[in-house]
Amino acid sequence: MTFYEQEIRRIRNLLYSNQFQIDTVIATKNFIDGNSEKDLNLNLLSKILFTSKYHLQRLFKRHYGLTPKQYLINIRINKSKELMKKGVSVTETCFAVGFESLGSFSSLFKSRTGRPPIQYIKEQLSRSN
Amino acid sequence: MKVKIVSVSVLDQEKALKFYTEKLGFIKKKDIPLSEGNRWLTVVSNEEPDGTEILLEPAPNHFEPSKVYQKALFDAGIPFTQFDVDNVDEEYKRLVERGVEFSMNPTVMGTAKFAVFNDTCGNNIQIVEEL
Repeated sequence: MTFYEQEIRRIRNLLYSNQFQIDTVIATKNFIDGNSEKDLNLNLLSKILFTSKYHLQRLFKRHYGLTPKQYLINIRINKSKELMKKGVSVTETCFAVGFESLGSFSSLFKSRTGRPPIQYIKEQLSRSN
Repeated sequence: MKVKIVSVSVLDQEKALKFYTEKLGFIKKKDIPLSEGNRWLTVVSNEEPDGTEILLEPAPNHFEPSKVYQKALFDAGIPFTQFDVDNVDEEYKRLVERGVEFSMNPTVMGTAKFAVFNDTCGNNIQIVEEL
C-alpha cells in the first residue's frame, strides 16, 4: 500500500466515522439531482430525509462545500446551458430547469457564468456558425 | 484572469501524448515545435473540447528539482493532479481493460470515490467521482 493510500485510510477514519450522516447527505444530493426542476426547498428535503432542516443544511455544506440551495442553483444553471446550446429560448429554458422568474434566472446565470443568458445564446450561435 | 492551461510534467512527451490520447481518450489540441526537440503540446478532454488544456511539459528533463519532486510524489503514490469522472468504477474497468495500472483501486472517502493510476510518464493521476 502506498503512503498516499495509508493517509487516505487514516484521514477517512478521522473524518468520516459517521456513515449514517454521509448516507443522509448523499441521499439529499441524489434527490436534488433527480428532482432539480421541481419546487424544492429545505423543508421538503428535511422531511424526506427525516432530519432537521438546519442540521441537514450544515451537514450538506460541510460535505459538499455548498448549501443545498446553492447546489440546486448550480445544477439548474448547468442544465440551462445544455438546453440553450440546443437552441431552446431563454424563457423556455428558465421554466424548464425549475426557476420561477426570468429575473432571478438571468441574475443567477450572470453571477455564475459572467454573462446573461441571452449573451450565452449569442456566443453559442456564433460558435456554431 | 482565466484558467486556460494546467501543466502536467512528463518524462517523455511523445509517450505522454500516446497515453493521454490512446488510453485516456483525450484529444490533441496544440502541438508546436520548440527548440531541441521540445514541443508546446496540449491535450483536452473529449467531453470538453473547449475546456481547460493540459500542457504535457518536459520539465523533469530540463530542471533537476522538477525531476526530484516528481519522483518523490510518484514513489509516495501521491497524485500529481486529478480528473473528474461520472463513475469511478466504470472508468477503472475501462482503463484496466486498456492495460492501465492502478496504485489505488476505487476507494470511498466521505462523499467522494476515487482511484489512482500510473500515467507511465512519471505521474500518478487520480480520478474522482462526487457521490
